[in-house]
Amino acid sequence: MTTMTLTREAAVRAPRRMAGFWPTSPALMLLTVFFVAPVLGLLLRSVLEPQPGLQNYVEVFGSTTYLRVFVNTFVVATIVTVVTLMLAFPVAWFLAVAPRRWASLLFAVILLSMWTNLLTRTYAWMVLLQRTGIINKTLMGWGLIASPLPLINNLTGVTVGMTYIMLPFMVLPLQSTIRSLDPATFRAASLCGANRLQVFTRVFLPLAVPGIGAGVLMVFVMSLGYFVTPALLGGTSNMMLAELIAQLVQSLLNWGLAGAAALILLVVSLGIYAVQFRFFGFKAAGEVE
Amino acid sequence: MTRPFLSIRNIEKTYGRVVAVQDVSLDIAQGEFVTFLGPSGSGKSTTLYAIAGFLQPTRGDVLLGGKSLLSVPSNKRNIGMVFQRYTLFPHLSVADNVAFPLRVRRQPKAEIDAKVAAMLKLVRLETMADRMPAQMSGGQQQRVALARALAYDPPILLMDEPLSALDKKLREEIQIEIKRIHNETGVTILYVTHDQEEALRLSDRIALFNAGRIEQLGTGHDLYEKPASRFVAGFIGNSNFLHGKLSRSDRSITLPDGTAIQGVALDKVGPGQGDVSIMIRPDHFRLHNGEAAPRLVGTVTDTTYLGEYTQLTVLTAWGGALSVRLPPDDRASPVEKGQSIALTCAPLDVRAF
Amino acid sequence: MLLDFNRLGGLRVALSAIAFLVGAFLLLPIVVIVLLSFGSSRYLQFPPPAWTLRWYEELFDNPDWLASFATSFEIAVVVAVAATLLGLMASFGLARGRFPGKEALRALFLTPMVMPVVVLAVALYAFFLRLQLNGTFVGFVIAHTIIALPFAIISISNALEGFDKSIEDAAVLCGASPLEAKLRVTLPAIRSGLFGAAIFSFLASWDEVVVAIFMASPDLQTLPVRIFSTLQQDLSPVIAAVSSILVALTVLLMAVAAIFRRGKPA
Ligand SMILES: Nc1ncnc2c1ncn2[C@@H]1O[C@H](COP(=O)(O)OP(=O)(O)O)[C@@H](O)[C@H]1O
Ligand SMILES: [Mg+2]
Repeated sequence: MTTMTLTREAAVRAPRRMAGFWPTSPALMLLTVFFVAPVLGLLLRSVLEPQPGLQNYVEVFGSTTYLRVFVNTFVVATIVTVVTLMLAFPVAWFLAVAPRRWASLLFAVILLSMWTNLLTRTYAWMVLLQRTGIINKTLMGWGLIASPLPLINNLTGVTVGMTYIMLPFMVLPLQSTIRSLDPATFRAASLCGANRLQVFTRVFLPLAVPGIGAGVLMVFVMSLGYFVTPALLGGTSNMMLAELIAQLVQSLLNWGLAGAAALILLVVSLGIYAVQFRFFGFKAAGEVE
Repeated sequence: MTRPFLSIRNIEKTYGRVVAVQDVSLDIAQGEFVTFLGPSGSGKSTTLYAIAGFLQPTRGDVLLGGKSLLSVPSNKRNIGMVFQRYTLFPHLSVADNVAFPLRVRRQPKAEIDAKVAAMLKLVRLETMADRMPAQMSGGQQQRVALARALAYDPPILLMDEPLSALDKKLREEIQIEIKRIHNETGVTILYVTHDQEEALRLSDRIALFNAGRIEQLGTGHDLYEKPASRFVAGFIGNSNFLHGKLSRSDRSITLPDGTAIQGVALDKVGPGQGDVSIMIRPDHFRLHNGEAAPRLVGTVTDTTYLGEYTQLTVLTAWGGALSVRLPPDDRASPVEKGQSIALTCAPLDVRAF
Repeated sequence: MLLDFNRLGGLRVALSAIAFLVGAFLLLPIVVIVLLSFGSSRYLQFPPPAWTLRWYEELFDNPDWLASFATSFEIAVVVAVAATLLGLMASFGLARGRFPGKEALRALFLTPMVMPVVVLAVALYAFFLRLQLNGTFVGFVIAHTIIALPFAIISISNALEGFDKSIEDAAVLCGASPLEAKLRVTLPAIRSGLFGAAIFSFLASWDEVVVAIFMASPDLQTLPVRIFSTLQQDLSPVIAAVSSILVALTVLLMAVAAIFRRGKPA
């Protein structure tokens, strides 16, 4: 009897350490072979090509050309994040408090723009912003400007196009945070004697910080590594990091340098997400909708 | 007792250092209604889950009709169960929920239809066959769950706090239904609750759980009148706990004010003497009528008239508060606040631990 | 009061105005493109001098565009199925499993969503050069499945975590084998999560540009790749026509999703 119990125990115990692991194995295998291995391979090339050593990093950090790309990447990402936040906050506030009908209408517009093909949106801005585009034509037609403004292939173009794309990613976390706030807190604050501005700065903003944080970090990181929109709306003089990596691989075939640039981009991006993970938890870091 | 139908033998379940259940043994006869009663975390669900096969006990065995169940997977145990949470299949109608166990058993359609109709009749939900679970109240959902669990005529029905999410009135209504269904079907029921009133109302026998063990097993009457431990006495019904000194020589207990009680039930006290804890139920007190011993004197500090009885709070000479319930015939001369009062009780109703 | 629209006072006007302007900003490009796709001007003059279906005819007469539509669609369908299946299994492991390193594994599964796509694109491009998978259907499916998997896992995990496991236990006690209980009870109960996973995965692949730009060959170009390479030459109105069709599909999809959501029991 005792031996029987023991055998059964052993049989039940052994696989328990990895209980429920096996269903994840197909996805794990796919990612190991086609994600982890290739990315590690690319990063390794940064210290192995053309010969083993750190010369790629010396070059990336030493040359003013590459330094300009880094600076430009951060500048663009920062501007886009700030502009997006400025626009998104009032919109999110509106969405959270406005009459249902108006809020859902605006919400539908946001979703439509978010779900519309990325290239379609970028193409639209190329058409609108070009020298002979609608915006320049309209402004000239109204007599506000004499000659077309340079709106494309420069910082303006990138900022407009990227802000357009990033807006939903800022609005959605913000509005869900604002929606979850309890009006009673605000009433309590004003009963305590706080005026409108004080309620805003001392209660509303601090309570909205998780949403602002989630949105700002997501938009900033996405902007850092963005490729398509800067490539089509930006100019050669303000190249961003992702374009540089693509160019190093496609035109210059310099895999070592590309690997080094990729590592830098990866470390910064995932580093920022790791910070977010620490402060706001997993949910905020993984949120898409 | 005849040969036990369901036999739980020395079940133990540990999670790392945590001992959820230790050395639980229990024999249940066919058709019996046994309730596991006890505070939350005392191991009731764990024991039930071991019977259902959702967890493998660390030690011990479960026998049904003399055969061990442990190597039988849950889906082959043929046991019915109603859970604490609502577990109706959300995408299936009421009828399809009840039919589910019959469909997985590949029974013929006609038989299934007949059985579903019979089961819905049993739980009095004939008119709701086509409802979806989301369209029903909690009480209705649990009745459907009951019908589903009984549809395949399981020899045993397990119920894990099935009514705890319902409000009191609905709970009492469904308790009556469960009692009726138990009588009609004759199924053996193992019922878990932390509500003593529910346990007393439903069960043939109650197993009172505490910290992973069965503290006492018996009828509701046994548990109330002859609690095996201080824990049982405190958990079932209301009780007054007093300190006393036991003297073995004359088998008496002396209260702090010097009142001596002779002939107390001492079967639960160890061999020594000295400090003991004694328990007297509030309804075991009577007004002292001049002859009987013991005689306990105190001051009434509060009285509440409750129709069937009067609830008094009596302050004893040593400063303890007693809860006392006087029946109608002792109310002839109304007791008033501030009045001094003499109480007595039958020594056999006084229990020492 | 700051959360009560009717008591915002002057702020109400300001908020409404900004909301209106941002709404217009978001809607304007899409509307303009749809209008231009019916305009007669090759140079995308606005308002169009006349209306025409010429660009749609050009589009449908060009086998390359049609082939790209078909390619994108086929890849996206296979990716939707693959990512949903892998995501379903992975989600079960993540939601129900108790094994060391589970949270690290969850983070790994979600990494492709948060890391810069260009890094993944370049890395896979190099890897596929060796395996000669660039420009192949299989290569696209693998790359897009990796990108789609996090979306599938999030959608299914959310549904699975909202599903009470006791319901599955009840099915097992009713006599269903563990697999049968999952197929007949758990999957139907989380079907909206599965549906979401399939839609998100489909869209992740259908809209994917960056990896596709690196992997595409002249023979196998997804729709975004063809748009991208055309855009680098000129702003042909044919792209406006393609874009309008894509917008129409988006609207259709949103409508279907809205109906699906409404039809779902609360
Ligand atoms: N999976 C588990 N891991 C660790 N401890 C558990 C687990 N399940 C139950 N326990 C512990 O076992 C004890 C008994 O739990 P349970 O049987 O659910 O109590 P009851 O049903 O009487 O409220 C509790 O202390 C609980 O914390
Ligand atoms: Mg329990």
